Order: sequence, then C-alpha cells, then structure tokens
Amino acid sequence: MDENEFDRLLKTCRLSLAPEEKAQIKKDIDNIIEYFNTLSDAKCDDYAPAYQPIKVPPRRRKDAVEHFKETGKLLKNSKIYRFFIVGPKI
Amino acid sequence: MSQNISEFAKRPKPDNYYSELVKKVGELNQKFRMFSNINQDISFGLPFSVKDNICVKDVESTASSKILSGYLPPFNATAVDRLSTDEFGFLGKTKMDEFGFGTFGINCPEHPLNPFDERYVAGGSSSGSAVATAILKHHVSIAESTGGSISSPSSFCGVVGFTPSYGTVSRYGLIDYANSLDKIGVMARSASDARYVFDKMKGSDNYDTTCVDHGVSSLNKKKLVIIDQLVNGIDSEILGSFDRTVSKFEGMDYSVEHKSIPFIEKAIPAYYIISMAEASTNLAKYTGFKYGLKVGDFSKPYNDFFTEARSSFGIETKRRVVLGTFVRSASVKSRYYEKALRLRAMLIATLNDVLKDAFIISPSMPIKVPKVEEAMEMDPVKAYKIDYLTIPPNLAGLPHVSFPSDYIGGMPVGTQLVTNHFNDYAILDAVAEWEKSFKYKFKYEVGAL
Repeated sequence: MDENEFDRLLKTCRLSLAPEEKAQIKKDIDNIIEYFNTLSDAKCDDYAPAYQPIKVPPRRRKDAVEHFKETGKLLKNSKIYRFFIVGPKI
Repeated sequence: MSQNISEFAKRPKPDNYYSELVKKVGELNQKFRMFSNINQDISFGLPFSVKDNICVKDVESTASSKILSGYLPPFNATAVDRLSTDEFGFLGKTKMDEFGFGTFGINCPEHPLNPFDERYVAGGSSSGSAVATAILKHHVSIAESTGGSISSPSSFCGVVGFTPSYGTVSRYGLIDYANSLDKIGVMARSASDARYVFDKMKGSDNYDTTCVDHGVSSLNKKKLVIIDQLVNGIDSEILGSFDRTVSKFEGMDYSVEHKSIPFIEKAIPAYYIISMAEASTNLAKYTGFKYGLKVGDFSKPYNDFFTEARSSFGIETKRRVVLGTFVRSASVKSRYYEKALRLRAMLIATLNDVLKDAFIISPSMPIKVPKVEEAMEMDPVKAYKIDYLTIPPNLAGLPHVSFPSDYIGGMPVGTQLVTNHFNDYAILDAVAEWEKSFKYKFKYEVGAL
C-alpha cells in the first residue's frame, strides 16, 4: 500500500497517528495484507457467503411502544442538555 | 447440579467468609492483576466474575479500553441477568485484551499474569477470567470468545474453558467485537460446573435475534478425529503430550482416526478478515461523547472531535480498525471480505461432515506458555498464526472446550475437543469423563471451605 493510499485510509478511519506509530502500523499492515492475500487461492467460490455460522431464523422484535421511565440512567454516561445528549458540531 | 456449586451451597460458611474472600482476592490482584473491579459488597452465593466486555448494571464496563473508561451500563447483559439469583454472587469484572484483540492477554494496561508463574502470560483475550478461575476454589467466570479467547487463556492457566455453539447464549449486553463470531461462554474448574452455568445462561432472548431457541444434545460416538494439518508445526513437547492424551482417550474406549483438510490453514486469514471488518464498524460508535471517555471540547468540528476520541485506542485496536476498513473498501471487498465469507461456508460444510460421527481433538495451543517478553516481541502475523487451532471452530461457530491435560515444566497444557452445532453437552460430558482419571493442579485455593 503506498503512502497516499494509507493516508486516505487513515482519514476514512478518523485515525491520526504519530510518525513513529504510523511507520510501525504501516509496516505491520503491509505484512498482514500480504498474509491475507494467501486466501486468494482457496477454491471456495462455489459456496454462498456465510454471514452467520448457523441458520438464524428471520425474527424481529415486536414493534411496540414501551414507556421507559429510567431515562436518567440511560443519559448518565453523557453530557446532557435538557433531554438531549450534547455532541460536537457536524 | 455440579459438584462444586452444590457443595458450596451445602457447606456452612463462617460469617466473615465473603469479607475475607474479598480481602484475599484484593491482595492477589496486586500480584496477578486479573480484576479491574472487585465487588466489596458480595455477601451471598457462588462467586462469579464477568469479563469486562460484558455489561453489569452500574459497574464500570470498559472492555479494557481507555475509550470506554467511566462507562456505567444501565442494564445487565442477559447472561449476567440469568445468573442474578440467590445462587450466584457477583465478585467483579475481569481484565482482557482491549476489545478482545489478542492471544496473550497483554493488550491492556497492567495486564494479568499467569497464576502458575507470573513471568508468563495468562493468554487472551479472556485473561483475567482464566486467572481468577485458577486462583479461586469456588467460583466461575463468564467469558467470551471470538477466535479463541476462551480456549487460549484456559489452556495457559490450566482451567476448563467452554465456548458454546454460536447462538445458544444471548449476546445482548456484550460489547461487540465481531457480531457473527462472538460467543459468551464459561470458565470453571470442572466440566460439570461449566455445564451448570451454561444451562443457566442459554436460551433464546428477545433482545438478541441471533440467539436461537434450539435444544442442546449430548451425542457421543466415542470417536476422535485428528486433522493432520492442525498438528503440523506444533511445539515438539506439546505434540508429545498430545499423543499421550490421545492414548488416554483410547483407553477410555475412543477410536482415533486421522483426516486431512488441506485448506484449513486458510481459516486464519478468513477469520481475521471477517473479524476486523466487523470490529471496524462496531468501534465506530465510540465517538467521545456518548459512552465512556469524553473529549469535552464541543467546539471542534465533528471529524476532529472523533479523531481525538479514537487516539485513545491501543495500537492493536488501531491496526484492526485500519485493516477492517481496508477489507471493506468497495475496490477490494469481493477479494477479501466476501472471499472470507465463502471460505467460512466451505469450512462449516467440511467440519460438519467430519463431526457427524466424531469429535475433533487437538492441542488447545500450538506452543508452550510464552513468557511476557516473548509475547510482546512477537510480530502481528506470527501472533495471529498462533490461533490456528482455535480459529476453525470459532469461525464455524462450533462448540468447543479446552481442558487441562498435562503439565510441562510446571506450566499447564490444554487439549481441545470440538463437536457439531448444538451438541454442546457431549464434549462437556467427555471432559467430565476425563476428569475421573486426571486431577487438575491449582497453585491457589482461595476461598476453600
């Protein structure tokens, strides 16, 4: 992976790395991708992708209104303003 | 009811039993660093600990990550909720590799150390759970495995580590690593204890649609299969020990057969591709304002704010986020991610065929317990390859159990049994049979009655 491609990837990941850490991770990632490439000669293209390891029957949670009264507990992990979680500007 | 749990319930306890237990656990925690949090108020039931990526109501749950520091879940994970009876008492949260990313238990600050000899690793990622189980006489730990996070530390710390079929225990309340691979399981000092706790935790759950309502069987055809590719490249002493273990099973009326699955080594890259792809999306929710760590400066633009929050990830987490994002990229998705999913389908079909009338047996880990500095110096590709015995059953969602089968140089060695989906009881029963003639060794018996 060249430097530009790696930088684009870091930007997509929202990761900012110090120069030393960046060099280390880039080297590791090149080696790991080379290892991932060994998968290319596996003869498995006749199989449908297995998104789950078992058959999961289609099941949905019941779409029903529930009155949850403990909103304070749900919000206690965040900075809040009235009933809203405060976040950064978009 | 399991022997340990029923005996514990029956035996009279001194009034100060729990306060003394907490005191002793606290002292040993200074040495072995297995708990991130100890419940000082435990006062009843069989003590159980919970891996730090499984939510316990109002108890800090961080998956050993700085980015979740201070996070207090307002609910219990279903597995924890089902143990919240008079029979069990919550003892504390156990340390782990950050988000489950590791084989040796060293990817977190102040990582746990092996209870047999603290110069050695505890294994990962459920490192703290294994150490706690090896130290406490009457106790079970709720752990979790994605690619071997129960078998590896169980083997290195000399305890029974049971990973159930995917979908038997609800993942609700688990801090996700990789949704299609994560399984909540049990560490204990005997197969019967593991089975008892598994029975309490399993069963469908409206909060996890992948948790299926499926019966669990115990079909044992008394046949073991050794996959030739899985015993190639194993440390010679581990291999010698494994041969002796297999001979003992033959003495227990098991027949043994060798089979070849030439592509099985491809399970390792396939596993890492799938797990990193899923992990990179799961970790996107840690934005620095909703859970745990707070960046605080809301005047920053969103991307800068998010980038600052993610700077608190450890190096292995950053590596996996980058790789997971890469393999999901539109230009390479079919080459890596979809190919890995197809490989998983082929692996499941092949293993199901092998397992229709046999268990697969292998060592749990291909190496002896490494020293901490040896594990720290290992490059990532080499470390990932160490998981090649635990990855196939995890990738296929198959139930498996690691149990102590030998001691080399005073350190434990584990053997792993794998069976087909939903035949979980069969391997636990086989280990219970093994335990009749093999006595496990523990250096500590904290809380013994």
